[in-house]
Amino acid sequence: MTDARNEWVGFSPRRVWMIAVNTLTESVRQKVYLIMILFALVLISSASFFSQFGFGETGGQEALEQLKFIKDFCLGAISVFGMLIAIVGTAQLIPNELENRTIYTILSKPVRRFEFLLGKYAGSALLVLVSVVMMSVMFGAALKFKGDNYLKVTQQSVGQAQDAGTMEEAVRQMQKIRAAVYDPDLVKALLLTFVKLALLAAITLLVSTFSTSMVFNVAVALLIFFAGHLVGPAKEKWAESGAARFLLTLIPDLSVFNVADDVILGNAIPWLYVAKVVVYGAVYLVCVIAAAHFVFADREI
Amino acid sequence: MMDAIRTENLTKKYNLGWGRGRLLALDGLNLRVCEGEVYGLLGPNGSGKSTTLKLILDLVWPTSGAAWIFDVPCNKVVSRLHVGFLPENPYFYKYLTGAETLEFYGRLCGLSGAALRKRVDELLEMVGLARARDRRLAGYSKGMLQRIGLAQALVHDPKLLLLDEPTAGVDPIGSKDIRDLILRLKGMGKTVLLSSHLLAQVQDVCDRIGVLNLGKMILEGEVSQLVSDQQRLSFTVQGLPESGRAAVESAVAAAGGVVVSVEHPQTTLETLFLEALRKDKRGAGEHD
Ligand SMILES: Nc1ncnc2c1ncn2[C@@H]1O[C@H](COP(=O)(O)OP(=O)(O)OP(=O)(O)O)[C@@H](O)[C@H]1O
Ligand SMILES: [Mg+2]
Repeated sequence: MTDARNEWVGFSPRRVWMIAVNTLTESVRQKVYLIMILFALVLISSASFFSQFGFGETGGQEALEQLKFIKDFCLGAISVFGMLIAIVGTAQLIPNELENRTIYTILSKPVRRFEFLLGKYAGSALLVLVSVVMMSVMFGAALKFKGDNYLKVTQQSVGQAQDAGTMEEAVRQMQKIRAAVYDPDLVKALLLTFVKLALLAAITLLVSTFSTSMVFNVAVALLIFFAGHLVGPAKEKWAESGAARFLLTLIPDLSVFNVADDVILGNAIPWLYVAKVVVYGAVYLVCVIAAAHFVFADREI
Repeated sequence: MMDAIRTENLTKKYNLGWGRGRLLALDGLNLRVCEGEVYGLLGPNGSGKSTTLKLILDLVWPTSGAAWIFDVPCNKVVSRLHVGFLPENPYFYKYLTGAETLEFYGRLCGLSGAALRKRVDELLEMVGLARARDRRLAGYSKGMLQRIGLAQALVHDPKLLLLDEPTAGVDPIGSKDIRDLILRLKGMGKTVLLSSHLLAQVQDVCDRIGVLNLGKMILEGEVSQLVSDQQRLSFTVQGLPESGRAAVESAVAAAGGVVVSVEHPQTTLETLFLEALRKDKRGAGEHD
C-alpha cells in the first residue's frame, strides 16, 4: 500500500504548464482579449491606408517618411495594446480564483502554491506573447505590403529614367526602401517590447496578490507603468540624493526597453544593449515573482 | 489501524479586521476519522464545519493545534496526495466543458494519455453527466456543478474524500444518487468525511457523526448507537410458547405497558440533534 509518509511531492514544471494552459484557455475563450487583439490588428493593418491619404503614392523621399510613419504608428499600437492586455489580463487572475473559489479545488490537490502562482503568471505571459506575435506579424505584413508598392513605383521610375544620374538615384532609393522594410532592428524593438510587457504582467500579478479589487489593481499597475517610463530621467535629476535614488530603483526603469525611436531613425541597436536590457528585465522579473510568492504563500484563502 | 484524519486541539480564530477582534470559529477540536469509515460532521450554519475541512486541507491555518492526514502533518503538500475535496457550492472554470474540466484536474494529479481519457469517461458516467460532457460549465445547473465537483474530487482515485455538503442544492433523486455513490465508495474501502445539515440523509450513509455547535464538538458517536432509544425496551425472544407469550403480554398489560414491536426502537438524528443544541447553553458569536 502507498504510504504518503514515504512519498514526496516536488516542484513540478508540468503542473505549472497545466495551470498556464488552463489560464490561457480561459482568457482566450473570454472574448474580451480576442476583441482587443482584433481591434489592434485592424488598426495596424489600416496604418498603410492612413499614410496613403496623408502623403500620396510616390517613390521619392516621401516613401521613406511614410514607412517611418507606419513603423512609429504600429510599434506604438503594439506597445499600447500589449500594455492593456498585460494589465487587464493579469489583474483579475488571482482575485477571480479567490472569488470563485476555484483555487480551493486546485490547492486541495497535491499542488504547491508556488506552482499555482507561476502557472497563473505563465498563462498571462503566454497571452501577452500570443498577442504581441499576432500584432507583429500583422505589422510586418503591412510594412512589406507598403514597401513592395514603393519598390514597384521606384522600379518603374528606373525604367523611365532619362539619364544615368536619375537612374542611380532611383536604385539608391530602392536600396533605402528595402533596408527600411527588412530592418532586423525591428525584431529587437519587438523583443524588448515583449520583455517589458512580461515584466509589467508580473508587476500586475504582484499587486493582485494583496488586493482583490480589480479597479485598484489596474490603477496601480498603470501608475507603475507610467512611473516606470519616468524613472530614467528622474534618476539623472536626483542623482545626488541617496534615498530618492533607492526609491527610484524599486520602480523598474521601463524606458530602457523603448528603442522604437532609435529604430525608426535608423540608429543601430547593438545586440549587447539588447542582451543587457533583457537581463535587466529578467532579474527584475524574478524579484517581482519572488515578492508575489512571499505575499501569496502567507495568505489564507 | 492508521487514522485517516486526526486533529489535536484544532482551533481557529478568524481575524475580522482592524479593531474588530477575532472570531472563534473552531474551538479545540479533537477529531479522529478511522480508515474506511464514513464520518458525518453536522452542525448548524456557522458552526465551523467548512472551517474544519479547510484547516485539514491547509487552505487556512490553525491558530493553535494541528491536523494529520494518514499521519502526515497537513501543512505538507504530500499530505494531499490521496485526498479528494468537494468544496461547498463548488464553482469551476466556466469556459471549460465538463470533460475538459476533469481532464484538467486529472492532469494536475499526474494522469495523462489514454488512462486520463478512460478515467474521465468513467467519472462522467459515474456521476451521470455523460450527456453533458461537451457543454461548458457556464451552462451547468447547481446540481450538475455539484456532480462535476464530486467527479473532480474522485479523479485521482483518492483514499480519502472530504465532501462539504455534497447534497446541497441537489434534487431528491440526485441526492439519493450521491448517497449511493458514497456508500459505493465506502464499499471500495475509501474513507469519507462529509459535512451536512441534512440529518435524515446523513443517517443513511454515516457510520459515525459528530455535531459541532459554535466551533465545539457537542455530540459524537456511532449512528446506530446514538439513534437507539434508551427510553424504551424491546425484547427479542425465541422459543417462547404461546402460553408464555400470553403470560408476558398480560404481565406487561398488568404493569400498564403495551407491546408495540419486537426490535430496538429508534429515534431520529433530527431529535438528537435538536436536543443536543438545546442543551448547549453558550451564546452565539463569541469573540475575544
Ligand atoms: N474567512 C473568514 N473570515 C472571518 N470569519 C469567517 C471566515 N470564514 C468563516 N468565518 C466564520 O467562522 C464561523 C464558521 O464558519 P464555517 O464556514 O466553518 O461554518 P459552517 O459550519 O461551514 O456553516 P455552513 O453550514 O453555513 O456552511 C462562522 O461564524 C463564519 O462567519
Ligand atoms: Mg460550510
